[in-house]
Amino acid sequence: MKRRSSSGGLSRRTVVKGGLLTTAAFFGPWQHTRVLAQGAKKPIKIGLTCDASGQYGNSGQDDLRGMRMAIDEFNAKGGVLGRKVEWITADTETNPATGTRVAERFISQDGCGFLIGAVHSGVANAITQVANKYGTIYLNSNSSAPSEAGENCSRIKFVWDGNGTNFSKAAVQNAVSGIGKNWLLLTNDYVWGHTTSAATKTQVEAAGGRIIDNLLVPQNTRDFTSYLLKVQQAKPDVVAMAIGGDDMKVLRQQISSLKLEEKTAWINNQQDWPDIWGAADTLFGVFGTTWYHKLALPGVDDFVARWKKANPQSPIPVPGNVSYNGYMATRELLRAIERAGSTNNHAVIKQLEGHKMSASDRMQHFDAYIDPVTHQVQQTIYLARRNRKPKDETDLYEIISWSKPEATQDDAAAQKCKLKAFPEVPTFEM
Amino acid sequence: MLELLPHLLNGIALGLLFSLVALGFMLILGLMEQINLAHGSLFALGAYFAYAVCAAKLPLPNEAIAAWAAVPLGWRFATAIVVAPILVAPFGLVLERLMRRTYGRDPLYGLLLTFGVAMVLEEMIRVIWGTRDYMLPVPNDIGGGFIMLDLIWSTYRFWAAAMAIVAMAGVWFIVERTRFGAMVKAGAHDSEIVQALGIDLTRLRVWIFVLGTMLAAFAGVVMAPLWGIRPHMGVDAVVPAFLIIVLGGVGSFWGAVIGGLLVGMVVGLSAAYASEWSMLSMYLLLIGVVAFRARGLFGKKSVLEV
Repeated sequence: MKRRSSSGGLSRRTVVKGGLLTTAAFFGPWQHTRVLAQGAKKPIKIGLTCDASGQYGNSGQDDLRGMRMAIDEFNAKGGVLGRKVEWITADTETNPATGTRVAERFISQDGCGFLIGAVHSGVANAITQVANKYGTIYLNSNSSAPSEAGENCSRIKFVWDGNGTNFSKAAVQNAVSGIGKNWLLLTNDYVWGHTTSAATKTQVEAAGGRIIDNLLVPQNTRDFTSYLLKVQQAKPDVVAMAIGGDDMKVLRQQISSLKLEEKTAWINNQQDWPDIWGAADTLFGVFGTTWYHKLALPGVDDFVARWKKANPQSPIPVPGNVSYNGYMATRELLRAIERAGSTNNHAVIKQLEGHKMSASDRMQHFDAYIDPVTHQVQQTIYLARRNRKPKDETDLYEIISWSKPEATQDDAAAQKCKLKAFPEVPTFEM
Repeated sequence: MLELLPHLLNGIALGLLFSLVALGFMLILGLMEQINLAHGSLFALGAYFAYAVCAAKLPLPNEAIAAWAAVPLGWRFATAIVVAPILVAPFGLVLERLMRRTYGRDPLYGLLLTFGVAMVLEEMIRVIWGTRDYMLPVPNDIGGGFIMLDLIWSTYRFWAAAMAIVAMAGVWFIVERTRFGAMVKAGAHDSEIVQALGIDLTRLRVWIFVLGTMLAAFAGVVMAPLWGIRPHMGVDAVVPAFLIIVLGGVGSFWGAVIGGLLVGMVVGLSAAYASEWSMLSMYLLLIGVVAFRARGLFGKKSVLEV
């Protein structure tokens, strides 16, 4: 005698069979093919995953200004593949959980075929996990933990900023020989801080120096007095800071007010422009960057003028490294779609992997390329310090060196990065 | 021991600052039994208003702004300390008016209301001042550093600790040594009897709320040169404030003071000697205390036990 369910009048076998078929429909061999939008002239939709609040709120919005400018420039030329480029954004709140929710919503509900953004490496990694699931190409514009192109790399992710190892390689060798061997690390207690400090430690020890202490600073620390007392007691030759965002602003202010910058040498692995704008008096020590709006290179002045025209209401009057990275990431994605002649993610990834970008096109000193093994952009790394003879109120930096991409390459990342094979990456076209 | 001494001193200074941040929160929670989650936003408003006054960024005619900017920073800073809490006080009045419907009901209503107000205030700050950070300038006389125990210390930090002591002494005097304080405490103990005696409890509550609001704003002004000014700085304030009140015991003035000092000491020492535990240390301290004394160090039965 057949048994039927009381609710629908269906047999248990039918229900099980139906369930299996439905499951197969979603998770079977068809899972790797999605079509997000029909019709060749549908807009290409990009999700811009930018912090508007939290520790990297200011940087996230500066990142966004660069991305929007790149999209506007393409749309002014008629779009990409004859299709308009549309974007949406949402505040990822410098919070990995929010980053996950935003990325999920952008892909599954808003139909975004590509994601760009993130300054905080925890947020970037969270977005990567979601993008991985769908095969969505994700351009990590500004988070620079070495792990982003190392153990947390992905076939669908491309990392546009220099990472902690790149900056350490550029800064440490000379500092150990020129300043001193005893180093103390101040480390923001999250993935970027840890991986960056680890990279600095490796470089210091390779150069013959030693780490006398590593003080972990929780995110959102507002009072650094305990740390600064400890630094004074330890009497290091150099303090290497891997402190980011708002934390770095407060730390700089507290160091400057005590004039501690005169007591020891300070190296900040990377200084993002939004974190220093408006507090130039606290700009001390040596720090790394990937771009500066006063670089004496062709195209820089024109780019700055375009950026200012595109962002007349910006609280920061000129583009810095964060906005530059946002712009470059977006522009290169749209160019890759054009070269691929399609929005198919596999085709676009192939256009990005190993892609070479001339120095003049990127307004840097040396040619750059996207490492096909790690998906990180290998580019010129600059070291800077405060400009004592500024040409105008925005001229805060004095660029003191620029290193070739090969000289600062993060060799360890290639060992740690294991990219999925293409057949394992879901495909889609929008 | 000589190496430890700076960190003990630092812990005391930090603790006094934590106590100051918790003071207004304690007043409203302890005497009105209302958990004011907007305390942090009122704290932030105090800092922003102080910045507007101190840095001469006021919505006034250009001539007036120029004249005010020409006033020495010391006077502008002193004015900001007085004016900012006064400017924030009306926000407390409005909040108290909104909260009246929640009095005597499940504390969750007041909690949700103040949480909503906190979000509104934070967004209002973003709209008016944007997302960028500001630093409150400090006059040279109380800025910079000085040498003690062979180390450089922040002069302003000790001024801030001194201001915290003055504020705490003022609150103690009002609550413990005035008729007003006696009526408020009696009202918190048994509101029906107090009202039967002809005391206008509604008006008392307004004053307590305004006083708590002004204390939050005052703490915001004092802390702004140390912590910086940013839209979500209120969260940085309200979390330790709540923790200190629970640790010290709801409704206890001395609980707030001792709780703040303990938290300052634990955070300061752990930052120096076990930095990875510095943020966690205050929560571990709370767990340790509450495990043995559920009502905190000096706590009585309170709204949290309803």
